[in-house]
Amino acid sequence: MIKEKEKNISRFIQMDIPVTERPFKVIGERAGMGEEETIAITRDLMQKGIIRKFGAVLRHQKAGFLQNAMVIWAVPPEKCDTAGRILSSFDQVTHCYQRDPPFEGTYNIFTMVHFREGEMDTVIQELSSATGIKDFMVLMSEEEYKKSSMEYFPDD
Amino acid sequence: MDEIDKKILNIIQKDFPIVEAPFRVVAEKIGTAEDEVLERIRRMKREGIIRRIGAVFDAKKLGYVSTLCAARVPEERLRAFVDTVNSYPGITHNYRRNHAYNVWFTIISPDEATLQSSLAEIRERTGIPDILSMKASRTFKIDASFTV
Repeated sequence: MIKEKEKNISRFIQMDIPVTERPFKVIGERAGMGEEETIAITRDLMQKGIIRKFGAVLRHQKAGFLQNAMVIWAVPPEKCDTAGRILSSFDQVTHCYQRDPPFEGTYNIFTMVHFREGEMDTVIQELSSATGIKDFMVLMSEEEYKKSSMEYFPDD
Repeated sequence: MDEIDKKILNIIQKDFPIVEAPFRVVAEKIGTAEDEVLERIRRMKREGIIRRIGAVFDAKKLGYVSTLCAARVPEERLRAFVDTVNSYPGITHNYRRNHAYNVWFTIISPDEATLQSSLAEIRERTGIPDILSMKASRTFKIDASFTV
């Protein structure tokens, strides 16, 4: 599924690449590979979709998105497809999943929504009108206990 | 953050060039010098605007499994519960939320058996039995990039 060489590169590029003129040369040196091969393997992993995204990950609060909430929606099964697509079309919705079992037996579509200052109520109303789903719950994050990136292939 | 910072952020979030000199390519796109781009990115990392620059893997394609959990934890046991949960390697997000189910966390594991045994162990070690697990049956969107 994923080869040793790929794992080896992945261990380094899943962290924080060096902000320097030739980052892939530095990563290659750490992983015991050349710059060219490091770039080729990275591109290949992206092409295969194993790397979903390569780039900067921001702290959204510091990027102007001050509030976020998990908004969960009670959507009739036959409407999940449409509702999921409509919710996903909003920029403020960064994540949208259908989950099983639903929360409290009814809330089956889960969205993470990020808001600029003062726009929370308006955006949630817009999401509700656009989907026609009136039964939803807004779960604010009151405290962040952990937020990190997954570490794959830790030591195998 | 000025206009040049914003241009840099929008490019390096969505179109990070996978080439020998990525920051020179970014500099060329916005019409500035490579040194300037490197300097600004280093500053934005120091200021905490940029968390990291690197690859985000698709857990599913690597064969990993994940779930969203919600736990009902009495106030006086909150700290201990959170410490135990966070000590597991696959916990990537953990938040207190305004609901009777007050602790919401995500867990990623290399396989289903590991996931289930971690959850069973968490219940056992914390003495909190009421932890829901809600797996994604369908992913509509994952895109944590922000146009600034």
